[in-house]
Amino acid sequence: MDFATLAPFLVGVVISGLVLGFVYAIIALGYTMVYGVLQLINFAHSEVFVTGAVVGFEIFRVLNGVEMNGYLKLLLALIAAMVASGLLNILIERLAYRPLRNAPRLVPLITAIGVSLILQDLIRIIEGFQGRFDLTYQLPTGFSTPFCGPESSCAGVGKFLGGIGISLQIKEVIVVLVALVSLAALNYLVNFTKLGRAIRAVAQDRVTAGLMGIDANGIISLTFLIGGALGGISGVLFGLKFGTVNAYSGFDPGIVAFTAAVLGGIGSIPGAVLGGLVLGVIQNLIGVTNILGGALNIANLGVIDSSYQRIGAFLVLVLILIFKPTGLLGRSNVEKV
Amino acid sequence: MLELRGVHTYYGHIHALKGIDAVVPDGEIVALIGGNGAGKTTTLRTISGMLRPKQGSVVMQGKDISGIPAHQILQMGMSHVPEGRRIFPQLTVRENLEIGAHTVTDRKVVEERIQEGFTYFPRLKERENQLGGTMSGGEQQMLAIARALMVNPKLLLLDEPSMGLSPLFVEAIFDIIVELNAKRGTTILLVEQNAQMALSVAKTAYVLQTGEVKLSGNASDIAEDESVRKAYLGED
Repeated sequence: MDFATLAPFLVGVVISGLVLGFVYAIIALGYTMVYGVLQLINFAHSEVFVTGAVVGFEIFRVLNGVEMNGYLKLLLALIAAMVASGLLNILIERLAYRPLRNAPRLVPLITAIGVSLILQDLIRIIEGFQGRFDLTYQLPTGFSTPFCGPESSCAGVGKFLGGIGISLQIKEVIVVLVALVSLAALNYLVNFTKLGRAIRAVAQDRVTAGLMGIDANGIISLTFLIGGALGGISGVLFGLKFGTVNAYSGFDPGIVAFTAAVLGGIGSIPGAVLGGLVLGVIQNLIGVTNILGGALNIANLGVIDSSYQRIGAFLVLVLILIFKPTGLLGRSNVEKV
Repeated sequence: MLELRGVHTYYGHIHALKGIDAVVPDGEIVALIGGNGAGKTTTLRTISGMLRPKQGSVVMQGKDISGIPAHQILQMGMSHVPEGRRIFPQLTVRENLEIGAHTVTDRKVVEERIQEGFTYFPRLKERENQLGGTMSGGEQQMLAIARALMVNPKLLLLDEPSMGLSPLFVEAIFDIIVELNAKRGTTILLVEQNAQMALSVAKTAYVLQTGEVKLSGNASDIAEDESVRKAYLGED
């Protein structure tokens, strides 16, 4: 394989890595926002995310035979997932974390892992009662067709993209667009509204925020709502991209997204996005090295193959923690006077 | 304006305030002085609702406010400039002021008050879009006071406004305190380790030691009493 064929191939790999990265990014935002206000790693976020994926599955399942625009179905699935995951996250904070607000930091952390395990089995039981375990998304027709395929009116665009090594399905474009809209909405909310300012104030100094008349508990609930809603969105996006979820699907993307949040600098919103995208691309690059290896006749080196994907993410994490512990965009702890 | 009646406050098991009685009359500057660990800051925190008294009551304008959380007490017309200024370091000067007006819903009023704050502290206007954490201690103190004024308080609690400031800044801050009291009629409860300075602007003073009021009375009398200074204020 020479460079002329390799280059577009790599571009394609990077692009599909970015698609995956956007899913990670939206999940990572859930971790980082909660960490921002409570300095707590909400390990239950992976199940908040799976809840969104399951609710999305149910919506598509119920609407499967219904005569309705596919995008409207998607919108309904997204809204239902946001509501379910957001409310679930508020409930988790209320029941599991708030009573431990003044406990040593290790205590809520372990509680979070416990909540995560409980939710996994709850989801398995609820779906199990209906005789289901693996939930395969019944997507509206057309979601899996190529983006700007030869039949479509924008076939020229598709041909151009194909020419530079990019082949995307409609649903992947949807993933990216939904992620971008979510990011823009979150950015607006956090940086340009009164509520967002209050969230930032509580994140920086909860006690003083109280002196400003801000109800810190209310803001913390709101943060869990937003983080949960983002988890719900990412669950549906995950379902779109991978097609199948089950009660235990949260662990893998959850841990990668958590890594992404740390990589970007935990507590930093742009950091979570950057971390997600970087890890998505890295994972995809590692995933194809075995194909590349075959093509380039270096397969016999046997050093890297796709089963090392996850190691790649954690290797990056270890390196970051050694060389830049605050993450790519994280700030060092601001000194308090 | 404000009255403390037999207030006891605990930090965990530590008995920090042991029955504080004090009165802050309308429109006055009252100084609360004493050495390290005397309970000055704890007193302010109990008044503003950051801490809950275990016994006794805090009464503001005839209403018992003990046990009401800080974010609601603010709405009653009390503003607390906390120890160490507690500027939000990652918010700009303007955002810090806007946060101070979180409970004010009318945007026009907020903008008016920001401009008013800038007239008191022109330096804040120069730093309007700078992050709070990047400013000097004196500037942060100015910002903390301006931020507390955003709710147009009737009662202002100031915790060690002179701490860590150069003499020039201390002078400027105290000028503002006197001006706020004289021009706006703001009642001020001032906690200070710089007793000299505090007594020079206050009308009444309370001397605290290990959680108890050891002495109270006319600020100028206390300022002149050498034995008081030696006994309670750690001066030679």
